[in-house]
Amino acid sequence: MSAERDASLPNPTKWLLIGAVGLIISFVGMFVDPRMASFCYLIGLIFTTSITIGMLFLVMIHHIFDAYWSTVIRRQAENFLAALPWMAVLFIPLFLITYLYKQDTLWIWMDLEHELHGHGTVGTDPLYLKKTWWLSETFFWIRAAACFAAWIYFARTFRRNSFSQDADGSAEHTYSSRKHAAGGLIVVALTWSMAGFDWIMSLEYHWFSTMFGVWFFANSMRAALAVLILVAAFLVAKGPLKGIFNTKHLHDLSTLSFAFTVFWAYISFSQYFLIWNGNIPEETFWYNFREEGMWYGVSMFLIFGHFLFPFLFMLQFPLKTKYPAMVFMACWILFMQLFDLIFNILPSLKIHGQTAQLLHQPLGFLWLAASVLGGIGILLWAYWTSYYKVKIIPIRDPRIGECLNHNH
Amino acid sequence: MADKFGILAKFDTPADIMHAAEKVRDAGFKRWDVITPFPIHGMDGAMGLKRSWVPRFTIVGGTAGFITGMSMIYFTNAVNYPILIGGKPLFSPYFAFPVSYELTILFSAFASILGMFILNKLPMHYHSALKTEKIAEMSDDKFFLYIESEDPQYDDAKTRSFIEGLHPVEVSDMEK
Repeated sequence: MSAERDASLPNPTKWLLIGAVGLIISFVGMFVDPRMASFCYLIGLIFTTSITIGMLFLVMIHHIFDAYWSTVIRRQAENFLAALPWMAVLFIPLFLITYLYKQDTLWIWMDLEHELHGHGTVGTDPLYLKKTWWLSETFFWIRAAACFAAWIYFARTFRRNSFSQDADGSAEHTYSSRKHAAGGLIVVALTWSMAGFDWIMSLEYHWFSTMFGVWFFANSMRAALAVLILVAAFLVAKGPLKGIFNTKHLHDLSTLSFAFTVFWAYISFSQYFLIWNGNIPEETFWYNFREEGMWYGVSMFLIFGHFLFPFLFMLQFPLKTKYPAMVFMACWILFMQLFDLIFNILPSLKIHGQTAQLLHQPLGFLWLAASVLGGIGILLWAYWTSYYKVKIIPIRDPRIGECLNHNH
Repeated sequence: MADKFGILAKFDTPADIMHAAEKVRDAGFKRWDVITPFPIHGMDGAMGLKRSWVPRFTIVGGTAGFITGMSMIYFTNAVNYPILIGGKPLFSPYFAFPVSYELTILFSAFASILGMFILNKLPMHYHSALKTEKIAEMSDDKFFLYIESEDPQYDDAKTRSFIEGLHPVEVSDMEK
């Protein structure tokens, strides 16, 4: 028995259409303004992928701790995991644009003839020659494929275990999920860091930060928790989760979101602090790019908007238990998370000799909006399609009884 | 008995004392408490307790710690003994941040402990519950509720019959 298709809940096809429109505009952009549009596409893709990876982490954390409080909301996270294979499909255009347009559209090290400002080409750059074994094109695409393969494997396993348990109620599925969570946490943590290094950090291959993977993880967790709060609030307001998901569950999600706010700030600050203190040109240039023109304002906005405001907001107990307040905060965090990705990705345009000042390139806003809309459309299409196929909560999970009676 | 502290009622199960506490709460008594051998989940609601004030002490302590850290480093590095190191500015919030952050946590912790002591009126060296021989049961397997004679609603006979109406196992007086 699947959840009844309720007229008040969104139609998946509508989201597929929205996603398709966004993606089509993005692809048109790749012909009109290839480099800018590709960068924006990368941002949109990473934004949506980070939400699904965050969901995958949440599911694994739930299983590894044998948690009970998150059982009612775990099913919604599993529904989001249905989007992962589509994220892999959406990655293919990045491969195509690299070989159909220019080898260095996104990652300059892919073109050994790429002229570096003031000192020869990438092929003669000692900093590149030291990294050739990792930054080789074939290896790069293999890594991307391996990352997606690993994520999809774990996503499918957790979904299958959870949905089969609805049918037969066997505890074996819980044990299987727990074992997979133990291995999966290590594998996904490594592959997700690797994806961060490859897709974002190697845009400026001179730069390196060992904290980047952790930052990437923190950001994906914040995005996933924000989306989960929004989905829970939506399903409570519309009825399906009303009386099942209570304010104590909301408080727990909000508290976790609060914890990752502090974690994000800790990691982001530590990265900046070490680079500031070390004062090595190969590292500091990265932040110099991000203090020029509009990016200075953006970086300040990140400190106060992505940390201080959510921190002070979620520090207050009453706000963490109220739906309107947390819906506002979740939207805010999601928006700021996108902003953070833009801040990390877009200024790299400068090494292409192109202006990274978005205000001078108003078309950039269109590509950005289109790619984010495209990604979100596909994500929600996959989510709602999966939502209608399965039960609203894992009804035969061993922990579901405890979770339903979870109270302040 | 002239020096009467209050009336003590004994209950056998956590559920009994929860229901009794709810009735005392609804009757509007102000100075009363329950004594149980272990924390009972939901008792704060049954007693009508509001959320603790401790977080307010914490935020004041944390803010004070942050300001202390920043101003201490500003004073030592930029005012009292300025040394230029590696071309870095004499004062910058970046390098002052880790220390300020640690002091934020340290001061928050101190303020929380202090706030908890103040709000609980600790240290309390004497309480009349310690004088009754029932103290052994209080810390073993029985559940107690008392209403103080200082309570504005207290009336010797009426309060006693009210407490008996809660169906306790045993009712006794507490000496000051």
